[in-house]
Amino acid sequence: MGTHLSALRPVYVVGVGWHRYQPASDTPYPVLGLKAIRDALSDAHLAWDAVESSYVATARLGMAAGRAMLRHLGALGRPLVHIENASASGSAAFRHACIEVAAGISDVVLAVGVDKPSGGPRAAGQAGLGSLVGGAVVPFTHFALLTNEYVQKHGVSPQDIALVAVKNHRNGALNENAQRRQQRTLDDVLASRPVSGALTSLQCTPTGEGAAAVIIASAEGIRRHGLDSGRAIRVAASAANSEWADAGANHDQAITQAAMTAALDEAQITPGQLDVIELHDAFTIEELHYAEGAGICPPGHFIPLLKEGAFDIGGRCAVSASGGLIAMGHPIGPTGIGQIGEIARQLRGEAGARQHKDARLGLAHMVGVGAVCYVHVLAK
Amino acid sequence: MNEPVKSRLFAMDGTSAGPPALVGGRCACGYVFFPMQTYGCEKCGRHGDALTMAYLSGRGTLQAFSQVHLHARPHPQVPFTVLSIALDDGPLIRALLEPPVDPDLRGGAPMVATIVRQRHEGRDIATLRFKRANDGVG
Repeated sequence: MGTHLSALRPVYVVGVGWHRYQPASDTPYPVLGLKAIRDALSDAHLAWDAVESSYVATARLGMAAGRAMLRHLGALGRPLVHIENASASGSAAFRHACIEVAAGISDVVLAVGVDKPSGGPRAAGQAGLGSLVGGAVVPFTHFALLTNEYVQKHGVSPQDIALVAVKNHRNGALNENAQRRQQRTLDDVLASRPVSGALTSLQCTPTGEGAAAVIIASAEGIRRHGLDSGRAIRVAASAANSEWADAGANHDQAITQAAMTAALDEAQITPGQLDVIELHDAFTIEELHYAEGAGICPPGHFIPLLKEGAFDIGGRCAVSASGGLIAMGHPIGPTGIGQIGEIARQLRGEAGARQHKDARLGLAHMVGVGAVCYVHVLAK
Repeated sequence: MNEPVKSRLFAMDGTSAGPPALVGGRCACGYVFFPMQTYGCEKCGRHGDALTMAYLSGRGTLQAFSQVHLHARPHPQVPFTVLSIALDDGPLIRALLEPPVDPDLRGGAPMVATIVRQRHEGRDIATLRFKRANDGVG
């Protein structure tokens, strides 16, 4: 039988940095990634030569993106590896970076995500099996189908589900690293371009590019480099899984529920204790499914609580205070790492206008097509 | 008219529930799946001869639907409707609606498979779609 991350050496997030998420541009990817890494090093008060190993999350750049970027920090001959796990690439890179530190192999490790949009195919389309729908079901239609199912089951209106986007655009407007930084009314959201089913464009994550980086360290790494332990945020749990047979159309919620339970058990906390949560809310309906799957509220109860402000910054539990994937954006490789950075800022009390009062416990969640799921719990 | 290009996904001759049938598979463990493949069973991992072809009834229940307004490719032409259908024989599948838009579609509706023939790049293509079955006709 295996063990939990938390049963090994304690791991801490000591530095966070971003290149703003933005629409596709001519900016070469190393410029995006290096900005995020240098900001994370600066945030940690660390020099690059302190970093013993690097995990590079990217899903769209093609083979071996890392060295062509990292060499410009000074090529020191240290190990680096690339991690691709669809939307959860960054979360996977963070988990494996944590495992390396927790196992005692390294004391200071970088996890960086960088991506730019590209039209690369998904491997599942090359599996050699046919489909009745071909390319007609893209992610927004998958989630439009789940929206339709939720509306039928719980009797809520699609207009109410769109309120998730209003909250997340409001949060994103306060985030200097967000791709979408404009407040939107419910009317704005509903009047935006029809996409699929009840989903309109402002209820869907935008495509874009960007980078996010975190530096993690052991207690020994913090001591040896003289880092500020008061700003170090402990990784209290790391859970990962993948889809099983019979998981159904809403497999993302099923794997989320299992991964959330595992992570909360590992951290020895209950869902009600969480102060800040970053969810894989690429589409409005996802926030309902995952919050309910996590036990933040019972199934079908998300919307009434959302209307009361329970999930606003300053509410019972701030959900997607960064703006989430809908407003902050979802460049793929960076996304899961950016969530860790947001939670770390919140728990340090350094989130500025987006600060959730007295945040002590945070959770980051990503799913990736396939499907895979990652949940991390961070503690002050 | 040319003979329609045959699909490995469905069969014109159907099951006792009427044509057409979906060409799925059944594992020795009892797991029923669509489409047919011999790579291995998602439930138990048996492969090869343990997986046998099984014609699945083209009847099912509508679990969810979405009318698509935005599509990056020319086909299918928007608007079209995507369905989640729980087949009577077990598997949950995704399919396209015939006709492409049906304002009277409701969750829970009985659905039935139907063959749609289309002229595409100089060939006659037969595709399998689903339509509402509440007219009682298979």
